[in-house]
Amino acid sequence: MPDRSADLVLTNGLIYTLDRTRPWASSVAVKGGRIVAVGEADAVAGLTGAATQVVDLQGAMLMPGIVDVHAHLMMGGQAELFELRFSPTSSFETLIARVAEAAAGAPQGAWIIGGQWGSDLLPRLNTLDALAALDKASQGRPVMLRDDTYHNRWINSEALRLAGVSAATPDPQKGSIGRDPASGAPTGMMIESAAGIVESTIARSGHYSEAMDRAAMARSIATLNSYGVTAFLDAAAMQPILAALKGLDDRGELTAWSVSAMPAVEPSFMFGIAGDELIALRENYRGAHARPDFVKIFLDGVPGARTAAFHEPYVDDAILGCCFRGSTIVTVPELIRWVGKCEKLGLGVKIHCAGDAAVSQALDAIDVVRSFNGPTRLIHHIAHASYIAPDDIARFAALGVAADLSPFLWYPTSFLEGHKQTMGDARAQRFWPNKDLLAAGALLAGGSDWPVMPNPDPWNGIEGLVTRRNPSGEFAGVALWPEQAIDVATALEIFTINSARAIGLADTVGSIEIGKSADFIRLDRNVLETPADEIADTKVLTTWFEGRVVYERG
Amino acid sequence: MSAADRPIPVTILTGFLGSGKTTLLNRLLKRPSLAGAAVIINEFGAIGLDHLLIEASEEQFTLLDNGCVCCTVRGDLVATLKALDRRSRDGGLPGLTHVLIETTGLADPAPILHTLMAEPDLAGRYVVAGIVTTVDAVNGPATLDRHAEAAKQVAVADRLLVTKADLVADEALSALRHRLAALAPAARQSLARNGETDFDLMDITHSAMASDAREVAAWLDISAYECGPDCAHDHPGHHHGPGEHHVHAHHGIQSYSFVIDEPVEWSAFARWLDYVAVLKGEDLLRLKGLVHVTDQPGRPLVLHGVQHVFHPPVRLDAWPSADRRTRLVFIVRDIDRETIARTLVKFASIDPASIGAPSRAAA
Repeated sequence: MPDRSADLVLTNGLIYTLDRTRPWASSVAVKGGRIVAVGEADAVAGLTGAATQVVDLQGAMLMPGIVDVHAHLMMGGQAELFELRFSPTSSFETLIARVAEAAAGAPQGAWIIGGQWGSDLLPRLNTLDALAALDKASQGRPVMLRDDTYHNRWINSEALRLAGVSAATPDPQKGSIGRDPASGAPTGMMIESAAGIVESTIARSGHYSEAMDRAAMARSIATLNSYGVTAFLDAAAMQPILAALKGLDDRGELTAWSVSAMPAVEPSFMFGIAGDELIALRENYRGAHARPDFVKIFLDGVPGARTAAFHEPYVDDAILGCCFRGSTIVTVPELIRWVGKCEKLGLGVKIHCAGDAAVSQALDAIDVVRSFNGPTRLIHHIAHASYIAPDDIARFAALGVAADLSPFLWYPTSFLEGHKQTMGDARAQRFWPNKDLLAAGALLAGGSDWPVMPNPDPWNGIEGLVTRRNPSGEFAGVALWPEQAIDVATALEIFTINSARAIGLADTVGSIEIGKSADFIRLDRNVLETPADEIADTKVLTTWFEGRVVYERG
Repeated sequence: MSAADRPIPVTILTGFLGSGKTTLLNRLLKRPSLAGAAVIINEFGAIGLDHLLIEASEEQFTLLDNGCVCCTVRGDLVATLKALDRRSRDGGLPGLTHVLIETTGLADPAPILHTLMAEPDLAGRYVVAGIVTTVDAVNGPATLDRHAEAAKQVAVADRLLVTKADLVADEALSALRHRLAALAPAARQSLARNGETDFDLMDITHSAMASDAREVAAWLDISAYECGPDCAHDHPGHHHGPGEHHVHAHHGIQSYSFVIDEPVEWSAFARWLDYVAVLKGEDLLRLKGLVHVTDQPGRPLVLHGVQHVFHPPVRLDAWPSADRRTRLVFIVRDIDRETIARTLVKFASIDPASIGAPSRAAA
């Protein structure tokens, strides 16, 4: 008779399963990384053998690992491990001094990459004098420094040379090369799309090896694990990200379930192949825990920059004048073509829609595809489902579209202040109709959009869903559209089982049920009974991925 | 529009290898009716022997005795068609009245149609007159069973020429013709016996050439899509049993038609067409239609689409008959009639009560 004994038994816990048929248990048993028993002590009693590791939870709350449906992993890990870090408030002199230190320790010819300088330094850096100082500090090594918006780069003369940029180089579309007004010589300031010239030069140079990419991804995933995240969707997975996830998985080093959304078009902040060319390679990057099953489409921009597409105009503006509504980047027929193609390939589509007109167009496109092609098991995402025309609320459920709730901006923030300036107070505050979506039967899924949020801490987002007030204490006494608050049990579903459904992993993760992956988090409190304004203080004490401890709070 | 500006009709000749295309062409080329025609033998880079058989020289353009121009293309059909047009206008060739493109056996005619419809420099100068497909009476049935491409060549044809008809028994010939009618209900069939046929390439007409409303009616031929008791169309959910008369692989190809009683709002209808092209283009082998639009009810629009490419709609001066209902004919692969009906209602703003099959409102 085969050995029935479990590898791991957790007992004496306050186990919140997120399984509606059995919400609470005290014990769970794990074998081969899968849950084999859930219930009270008697459910696991017969499964404890000599080799079984038994953990007494001592009454602590245990729940399934968090599922983050929207994160960008590689950049944060690279910055932490391999790049020169300085604060956006650093002075010009500090910046030069830090580059000089880094150059002294770097081999000749190696790139020095760093960030982020404050945007307010731009006029100072955009001069030949500043370039001369940077060249002196870098001692012949190529340098690229990113700004705090991630849109612009400042590079030195050696980097200009390697990127093939000279006075004769024309400005790219949607970007510009900073130039000395007198001579026209480049200053090293690479604005907007010009940043792509130097970023792609670095990408092609092989500066980041596959091993470095894997290390950067592993670091990012370790950060996710520390906040209790055990499954995520990378919302702009370029080839190095796909390769790193597959590489980690093949080595048994991937400590979370990963789903990847491959960009349909090269994003403004990441470089390399995209669209059909990238999608064609997806099966090379599939692994046991690595699933390139989504495509990402950016339909518009952001409200604060007036690049989001709205039904109603922005407030008047000196440059754009009256009645500017923003516009979508992709036409409806083109979006229909993409959704249709992705469905044929068995891929979900995550569509970035910041404005309500973009949401309408994305729903229209999905409606057309559904009408022609019938139902599908695929769930498409409206990412940042935040400004939504009332008539569109019910369409999420009707079309089986998930509302990707990310980033955590459902409470007063500086972003909202920016929206008020461009949209007016009243409209800006009709932000995140979460309760209306819920009442209309939509699938709501939680995401951080890290690093747009400085960290992927879901407890911040969960508190915000419940209180609609900023958990940090900023904007004290103010709530954003408090009628849209939801209860904590629902918020927990949004960040676990709902997100698992949305990314196609509902059979594997999202709840503590027999047969599912043993992905658990042990918490320092019972979040269901914690005062709402303290939920964000919740700490993850231990994170298990497939029954293995991948994070332990020190 | 002067005669010189009128678009030049283009006939496309397709058919599987050995189906008698070249023999047909050799005989037809000698007819006086082809004076002023240019024949393009399209090899698409394949190693082809056909051009040797039709007595053309190495020169790109060869003038035959009857005034027909012959040339071989190894890739760039667009450049050849432009050159023909230019030389015709320059007087370097006799006045060009017609172009005939012979495809290689396996060729899908759709890309050639795309070229003619979508290439901006060609779309105004040439117009698709029609597709002629040769089917070999001896090997045709097996070829149709094995090759979805062969079924598609038949399905998109305006004319079908059954060759080697003298080499098979009457029952076999009749079965093949029945089968061809199921794949291409509106395509007229001709027979070739001993290499001779009463068929003439110059007979082919096409609505987009356009002046004669009666020609449009013949081209659209919606009555061919009506289902009588002897209906041989494929129907969803209707599977022929193994012992029945016509057990044939149609590779999912079927045809059907719609009649719409109410006038159509063109902007909504055009939007629906966009959606069809984008989502179903690959499987939309052919769409033909005559559309009653609200803004000019006396002047119907003629639609012609092949896969995801649509001819710019042509507006007729008058209706071909007293029947002023919109009529649409579809030849498709794996698209349900119901899908078309449902999406017409939803996206083309068509009242479900006004949409039906032709038999329902047979006049």
